[in-house]
Amino acid sequence: MGAKKASPDLLNSSFSFKSLKLKTKQQELLLRVSILGLVYVLAFIARLFSVLRYESMIHEFDPYFNYRTTLFLTEKGFYEFWNWFDSESWYPLGRIIGGTLYPGLMVTAALIYWTLRFLRFFVHIREVCVLTAPFFASNTTIVAYFFGKEIWDTGAGLVAAALIAICPGYISRSVAGSYDNEAVAIFALLLTFYLFVKAVKTGSLSWALGSAFGYFYMVSAWGGYVFIINLVPLYVLVLLITGRYSMRLYVAYNCMYILGMLLAMQIRFVGFQHVQSGEHMGAMGVFLLMQVFYFLDWVKYQLNDTKLFQTFLRITVTSAILVGGIALGVGTASGYISPWTGRFYSLLDPTYAKDHIPIIASVSEHQPTAWSSFMFDYHILLFLFPAGLYFCFKRLSDATIFIVMYGLTSLYFAGVMVRLILVATPAVCLISAIAVSATVKNLTSLLRTKQKVPQTGSTKGVGSSKSSSKVTLDQSQPFQKNGAIALLVGVFYLLSRYAIHCTWVTSEAYSSPSIVLAARGAHGNRIIFDDYREAYYWLRQNTPTDAKVMSWWDYGYQITAMGNRTVIVDNNTWNNTHIATVGRAMSSYEDEAYDIMRSLDVNYVLVVFGGVTGYSSDDINKFLWMVRIGGGVYPVIKEPDYLVNGEFRVDKGASPKMLNCLMYKLCYYRFGELVTEYGKPTGYDRARGVEIGNKDIKLEHLEEAYTTSNWIVRIYRVKPPTNRL
Amino acid sequence: MVKSTSKDAQDLFRSLHSAYSATPTNLKIIDMYVVFAVFTALIQVAYMALVGSFPFNSFLSGVLSCVGTAVLAVCLRIQVNKENKEFKDLAPERAFADFVLCNLVLHLVIINFLG
Amino acid sequence: MMERGLVRFLFLILAVAICGAASVFQPISDSHRSAALDVFVPVDGSYKSLEEAYEALKTLEILGIDKKSDLSSATCENVVKVLPLSSSTLKDALYALSVNGILKCKSGEDVPKDIVSKLQTGVKEAKLLLDFYYSVRGLVLVKEQFSGTDISLGDAEAVFRSIKALSQSDGKWRYSPNNPESSTFAAGLAFETLAGVISLAPSEIDHSLIQTLKTGITKLFDSIQKYDDGTFYFDESEGPISTTASVIRGLKSFAASESTGLNLPGEKIVGLAKFFLGVGIPGEAKDFFNQIDALTCLEDNRFSVPLILSLPSSVISLTKKEPLKVKVSTVLGSKAPALSVKLAQALSSGSKGSSVINNQELKFDAESATYFLESFPKNFDVGKYTFVFEILLDESANEKAYITEAQTKVPIAATGAITIENAEIAVLDSDVGSVESQKKLDLTKDEAVSLSANHLQKLRLSFQLTTPIGHVFKPHQAFLKLKHESQVEHIFLVKTSGKKSELFLDFLGLVEKLYYLSGKYEIQLTIGDASMENSLLSNIGHIELDLPERPEKAARPPLQPTDPYSRYVPKAEISHIFRIPEKLPAKQISLVFLGLIVLPFIGFLIGLTRLGVNIKSFPSSVGAATSALLFHGGIGAVLLLYVLFWVKAIGSVHDSKGTVFAGSVSVVRRTQNTVSPRSSIEQAEICLKDIYSSL
Repeated sequence: MGAKKASPDLLNSSFSFKSLKLKTKQQELLLRVSILGLVYVLAFIARLFSVLRYESMIHEFDPYFNYRTTLFLTEKGFYEFWNWFDSESWYPLGRIIGGTLYPGLMVTAALIYWTLRFLRFFVHIREVCVLTAPFFASNTTIVAYFFGKEIWDTGAGLVAAALIAICPGYISRSVAGSYDNEAVAIFALLLTFYLFVKAVKTGSLSWALGSAFGYFYMVSAWGGYVFIINLVPLYVLVLLITGRYSMRLYVAYNCMYILGMLLAMQIRFVGFQHVQSGEHMGAMGVFLLMQVFYFLDWVKYQLNDTKLFQTFLRITVTSAILVGGIALGVGTASGYISPWTGRFYSLLDPTYAKDHIPIIASVSEHQPTAWSSFMFDYHILLFLFPAGLYFCFKRLSDATIFIVMYGLTSLYFAGVMVRLILVATPAVCLISAIAVSATVKNLTSLLRTKQKVPQTGSTKGVGSSKSSSKVTLDQSQPFQKNGAIALLVGVFYLLSRYAIHCTWVTSEAYSSPSIVLAARGAHGNRIIFDDYREAYYWLRQNTPTDAKVMSWWDYGYQITAMGNRTVIVDNNTWNNTHIATVGRAMSSYEDEAYDIMRSLDVNYVLVVFGGVTGYSSDDINKFLWMVRIGGGVYPVIKEPDYLVNGEFRVDKGASPKMLNCLMYKLCYYRFGELVTEYGKPTGYDRARGVEIGNKDIKLEHLEEAYTTSNWIVRIYRVKPPTNRL
Repeated sequence: MVKSTSKDAQDLFRSLHSAYSATPTNLKIIDMYVVFAVFTALIQVAYMALVGSFPFNSFLSGVLSCVGTAVLAVCLRIQVNKENKEFKDLAPERAFADFVLCNLVLHLVIINFLG
Repeated sequence: MMERGLVRFLFLILAVAICGAASVFQPISDSHRSAALDVFVPVDGSYKSLEEAYEALKTLEILGIDKKSDLSSATCENVVKVLPLSSSTLKDALYALSVNGILKCKSGEDVPKDIVSKLQTGVKEAKLLLDFYYSVRGLVLVKEQFSGTDISLGDAEAVFRSIKALSQSDGKWRYSPNNPESSTFAAGLAFETLAGVISLAPSEIDHSLIQTLKTGITKLFDSIQKYDDGTFYFDESEGPISTTASVIRGLKSFAASESTGLNLPGEKIVGLAKFFLGVGIPGEAKDFFNQIDALTCLEDNRFSVPLILSLPSSVISLTKKEPLKVKVSTVLGSKAPALSVKLAQALSSGSKGSSVINNQELKFDAESATYFLESFPKNFDVGKYTFVFEILLDESANEKAYITEAQTKVPIAATGAITIENAEIAVLDSDVGSVESQKKLDLTKDEAVSLSANHLQKLRLSFQLTTPIGHVFKPHQAFLKLKHESQVEHIFLVKTSGKKSELFLDFLGLVEKLYYLSGKYEIQLTIGDASMENSLLSNIGHIELDLPERPEKAARPPLQPTDPYSRYVPKAEISHIFRIPEKLPAKQISLVFLGLIVLPFIGFLIGLTRLGVNIKSFPSSVGAATSALLFHGGIGAVLLLYVLFWVKAIGSVHDSKGTVFAGSVSVVRRTQNTVSPRSSIEQAEICLKDIYSSL
């Protein structure tokens, strides 16, 4: 008290200091804003590793297509972009790009670009593209904060923002340079969910309208919008079943569904799927169910007579179910309502793709997730998630039910396909944030009560009955206090370990551009392999502008974006037969392959070869997929021909068809003369670890045009046919 | 069975009618608007059934505009209805403004979709 | 220079082609005259120079072609202009005088004194051969054309000597005393000039000088060049025609001025004549003039006049039984003196050395001035011959010295009808001798012979050819053509051995050559020869060939050339497959439903009134009234937009100026200039882009 009395004098003496002293609420606001600001900046800069280490470039394969389309958009304008028919890819078919892509990402980047130019920042569109993903990751943290606030409280929101800023599951797809749909889509996803939950909470039409716009943005950005259009009706259904329905739910869902559906149909790629595709029927079913349900509810309210109502109920329900069932049956049987497409069906039945659609099965991102991936991407969130669930169930409300459903469904799908860990990340972060926030709150409240009690004890004076009880309390309190401090330290330690893990993961695993490879040299120095770009720029500068390049579909986007040449197949993989033709050409003998290449007007062939550098994602390792996909359409190609006892080999014991097929020849041409490692014979393939079987390779219809400095990319020219007499 | 059902139906109808007459006028206006929209939608569906669904986007936009505006009107009704406890804080002007805004967006999208 | 070399080369080719010593030369004929009209009449109506004018006019005069009057008057004007000028060159003066000599523009007493003094001065001061040439020749012409003049050459002997000083020991002359270059062309000019000097002052020149000149001429003739067919010529940098013509002119004028006469080797003169006749019809004016001028000199000179033996036709047809005609004339085509022609030998090309006809005298027909041989011996067969003619001159009554070749060799072709006997075609089996089908052929008709064979059989074609006197005839061309229905052709040669001509086709060995094509083949036989008057090409018929299947590796028949008319003919009209437009409902149904749609709205309004909707409380105060008006106006405007859209006043895809609503999913229209506040979302992006692009 004395100290307290002294402080007012001190305070009175310095006038400015008193005025600076904020009230608790303002302190809290300042804290929150500064935390959010720091989290915002953190989210941005955590994703900049590859920009700092290599350069500001686009990573991977798909982003190159997005970059090319964004470039086109900024150069030609929106009309040309919306109606673009690209004849430079999928030669000779071409691709209707305007109608087969999700324009959200490109339009967003273009808008940012135009805004910056309006403000006289004349940046290159590539810089905008590279930094779009971190920018939207920062925005996602803000949305996560608000969402957390809706679900639990501001503390949970702050923790959620901090967790999602550095969560590796999200960083993996939104690092700077990863200019892909998910960069924007996760932001849109979380925004839609937040707005919807807010709409359900407030029952306001304007929030529902907001969530409809969020859904529209999501539809324009990513094909994963199907998740939203199925989760939200499921959520509504669960609420109806558990009896937590209310008028607000009706308002929110109906407005969001109708307006969202209409807005979504404006995207050409989506088209009429909302009324024709099986994946969207759930939403429509729930919509109709809601009308019936609420109508019944209203009638019940009007009648106030259970008996009559029962009759009414009987009539309407039976007729509604009859009508609905007949409509659904007729629709599905006649094929008007298309069944679930392979991509999404494989989520329900994971073994479907491998048997029926090898292309989907071949993508490495579509493989089921291993436990190690979960641990790698989530770290401590993995066990905070069940804790958060517990807390959610303790305080069930509309919002917590939603987040629980979101978390559980997304985790199921994340288990089916590695790529979908990304979708689960916001839910996991939010729920874990609830756990952390609730725990820390309880612990700090325990700590706080300790501090207050001695004060009251001291004012009351020594002795009296209360003191005895307080003494007993005093005796147990230190234990609880210590425990709380220990637990807090433990939580702090866990969170710091989490931060370290995330930073390490980001730095080591997710910041590689994958178009520029790095390795450690013999003396520990870093060696950079820039072979891909070298090859593409060679193509750009040394081939005729109308040259057609055949390669496996992985490299299609990069060749068109950086090499600026027409390709036969690219990453869009929309035409399986065309890819199978290329696969057949790669796995045939040179003469047959030459016929196929002549029929496709191919001028150059590009293969990726990792035998000299030990790079293991090269075409020889992908070769069996080429055989499988080619064999899926052309029965001439049989997979057992290329295997020896079921084993894939390239050394002397390999099957003769393997040793003489076009891919083998193109990869290992002149490789037999090369010494790759000290002490090993010539032609030692460092990626497979064997000496190759066929060293003396002669090419009849192709000639070597270019091999990059580390032999990673090899380009061959298809010779025109010899003159007839 | 049939007789009891028909008698039940008549009772049902009568009690519904009596209950409905008690609703205030502004709600009745909204109800009539909803009925009007639904009827328009039904006529459009009948037309489509008659002449085929080409162009589909026009059909969809027409039907969805009717259904959408009906649904929005129902939402308005819910929000304006004084008997709903959840919405007693919401001013009816605000509700109507929301309704107008949503309808505006709805019709703008419909016009774009109409083709 | 290139053309000269080319001409020389062509001459060589001609000479080789004439193969051996046999060749036919024709004298100057009407074809020359008609060509001269094309060559010498200028396009633009006047000659470029007096030299050209002189050459053209002289040639036309020699050939006897009428000069055009306007041309001659124009040239005369030029001449008249040039002659009195003291500034004109010696060359111009010479040619003007030459033209005057032909056209006779000025004559008589009117002597151009300036010209004469000029020429005389020229003679005195001349150092170069050409100067001497022009001036001396000019004086000669003046003397010829203008009578009553006394042209004195001054010191004629000095002039003679100074000209002669330019001569060389090898017979060639130099152009100037300083320049060692010498040419035969200059020799001709020199002789003309010396002849002119002699004619102007005949008494002053010493005979010994003239004698040395004659030895020079002999030396000159040593450098003459020869072709295989007996033509002689002089060649120099000016070209053979010009050089030879110049020499001949010089010799003629020298011989004309000299009284003792020149002794020139006869065969060389004939050779020179044959050279000029062998030129044919030149295309260049200068060559034409030189040819005609040289031939004129040869025709009418004082040393020897060559006679040419020519045949109007060098083909004897044994069937027509016409006599062989021979003509003898001068080089310009005028009559020859009395002489007799004898056919010494008729050497056939086949059997060398033996002659069929020996020493046959030809009869003379005075009317047509031809010599002819009526009949041929019995063993005169078809084929190629070389007839050797000898001309014997009647020495007695000749003023001039005529000269001919010793022997004139002429190639003659004798043609006749060849009989074809025993023509037959047969299909033989693989066993020797067994004949499956044999057909006799009558090759004069296109007989439709129909045969069939498989790959194990053989085809035999045989026939016999005999000449009119019964010898075996070996034709130059005899082959059989098999043409498949797919237009693939194969040609086989028929060989003549001994008495018969025969062809064996062994299909077993020919299967690959025939590209394994089975089917119907047309058979065509061709027999031809230069001596055969009835060469034939007959479609014998068809043969149906059955060949085995083509194996994988066998060659494919070559692609037949497509008919160019079918390739470049306009192609068939492409019928585009358009998407069938969707079936639209009948207008009436649409209108009915349009009416139906309006009904619920009317029902709504009626219901509203039935409910007793309060429409009376329209606010009266200004502020509230305006806001109420705006509110209702706004709603009304939105509905009005619907109406406008429906009647297509706005919202159409083809609407050019900025309208508000896009109205289409797939095509977003361009709004160029207007930025309307009531834009849709898509339009907002476009408007932004337009703003920023215009920044």
